[in-house]
Amino acid sequence: MTMSHAVISCLHANLAACEAVLADIDQQGIDTITCLGDLVGYGPQPNEVIELIRERSIPTCQGCWDEDIIDGLNACECSYPSQLAERRGHRAHHWAAERITENNKAFLASLPMTLRRDRLLFVHGSPNSQHEYLLPDMNAFAALERVETAGAETLFCGHTHQPYVRELSEGSIRVSVQKNGNHSDSEQEMTLPMRRIVNAGSVGEPRHGSTKATYVVHDDDSGAVSVREVEYDVSKTCRAIIEAGLPEVFAWRLSHGFEYAERAEDASHVCER
Amino acid sequence: MQNTWLITGPPGCGKTTWIRDCFLKHQGTCAYLRLSGSEQEGLEQGPNAGIDSAWLQDQIPELLDVATTADAPPPTDTRLLLIEVQQFQPPTISGPDGIDPHVLRQLERFNLRPDRTLHFGLDPELPHEDVLDFKRLESWHRNLQGCVWDPNSLSSFWFELVNGAYGDVYRAKALMNLPDGRSFLCNWMVSQQSSQFLPLEAVEPPAGRPNRTSHLVVQGRALDPAGIQSTIDDCLFTDDVLELHQAPLRDRQHALQSNG
Repeated sequence: MTMSHAVISCLHANLAACEAVLADIDQQGIDTITCLGDLVGYGPQPNEVIELIRERSIPTCQGCWDEDIIDGLNACECSYPSQLAERRGHRAHHWAAERITENNKAFLASLPMTLRRDRLLFVHGSPNSQHEYLLPDMNAFAALERVETAGAETLFCGHTHQPYVRELSEGSIRVSVQKNGNHSDSEQEMTLPMRRIVNAGSVGEPRHGSTKATYVVHDDDSGAVSVREVEYDVSKTCRAIIEAGLPEVFAWRLSHGFEYAERAEDASHVCER
Repeated sequence: MQNTWLITGPPGCGKTTWIRDCFLKHQGTCAYLRLSGSEQEGLEQGPNAGIDSAWLQDQIPELLDVATTADAPPPTDTRLLLIEVQQFQPPTISGPDGIDPHVLRQLERFNLRPDRTLHFGLDPELPHEDVLDFKRLESWHRNLQGCVWDPNSLSSFWFELVNGAYGDVYRAKALMNLPDGRSFLCNWMVSQQSSQFLPLEAVEPPAGRPNRTSHLVVQGRALDPAGIQSTIDDCLFTDDVLELHQAPLRDRQHALQSNG
């Protein structure tokens, strides 16, 4: 029997999407799940989603929204591409911060930044920061560096809300060393084994051109990764957004497959805190 | 030569663009007048709020706006006066006899009698493809004079506006100020694939709030004025933030002038 495990990310307080994804995972008989964080933020059911993850004892690492709820808003303004996005983000933050119970906040605070299983590493953004985006088209050397320095073969991340599998093969590093008193360089070339970055997409706030929730399934034996899309009752979450008193435009954006707030122009930028 | 033309048509059919092109081709005095059209059952006119006039004035600086001058320039062989009216339905009779009485009364106040009338969707001389037959139309507008937008926020707001976040918007037109002193005509029609963002020729110095026409007019159905208003408020710069954006621009301009 093959051993598969599911990786979910960016739940964003969207209970209907979380329930649908967990039901889909259960239906496949997969009982190992890893969560890459961002349990809260923008969506209307932060406590319910945290409690669902806790009830199911799903190992979870801390996302950027989870961190902000604990530490307060101390990201620089570069986190948002516009004043509008920033104000909406702050409004959503304050809304969630006021409603999340102390017990659930303590749970968010307890989450680790990374989880590791053998040569599989699980992070929210990148091994460097929950706020760093590993975009599918980022420079190959930089991408390889993130995986290699973290000592991983496969790096699972989220944060971009766009699922992808990127294989980093045929990587090599050429090192030129000039020794004292010796004018000739000695060169060494190291070939790196294949590494992979797997982005799990987003359960609660998809941004891949569809409103369907996404997650990935990893076959531990073969290493195969499949991206799964799950339909859920988007209108139910939209109604909950409006009933909760969150900006109605959040419901409109979710129902059209747009993120609540667009990503910063330079998405690779990491806040200097 | 016939030189006082009345140009009518429904919202977003391209009246102002066509008028601008006529003026740009015309050798001689150009004059413009915008009149209000008739309200019809379920069809709100909505104010144009000087957007078209300000845009045309920017494109043709010597243009005479009859509405703001004491008298219309006297007819001459080289004068072209174009009168623009938003009119939902084509006239039943072609020519001056078919002019809407509401428009006729306004023309009389200016002592004008068009010698030619053209209606979009009716006269083959005019572009035809964008003419829509509106059955119901609400209108909402906001004066934005002195307001300056965060450029990226404006982009997000406009995207949401024309894609239905605040009701079914059929038509949106605006003049919007940016912190670097530029102003843009933002123009969208449901029948078009994308919005136009046309910079005005006139650029104001990046020093405080500009004092020129800035207005947003939205036409559509089931509009959400509170939602639009709230988002606009999130997009506009306060004095302090505006100064933060403008101070480096002024410094750069001074440095360029010093080096030049």
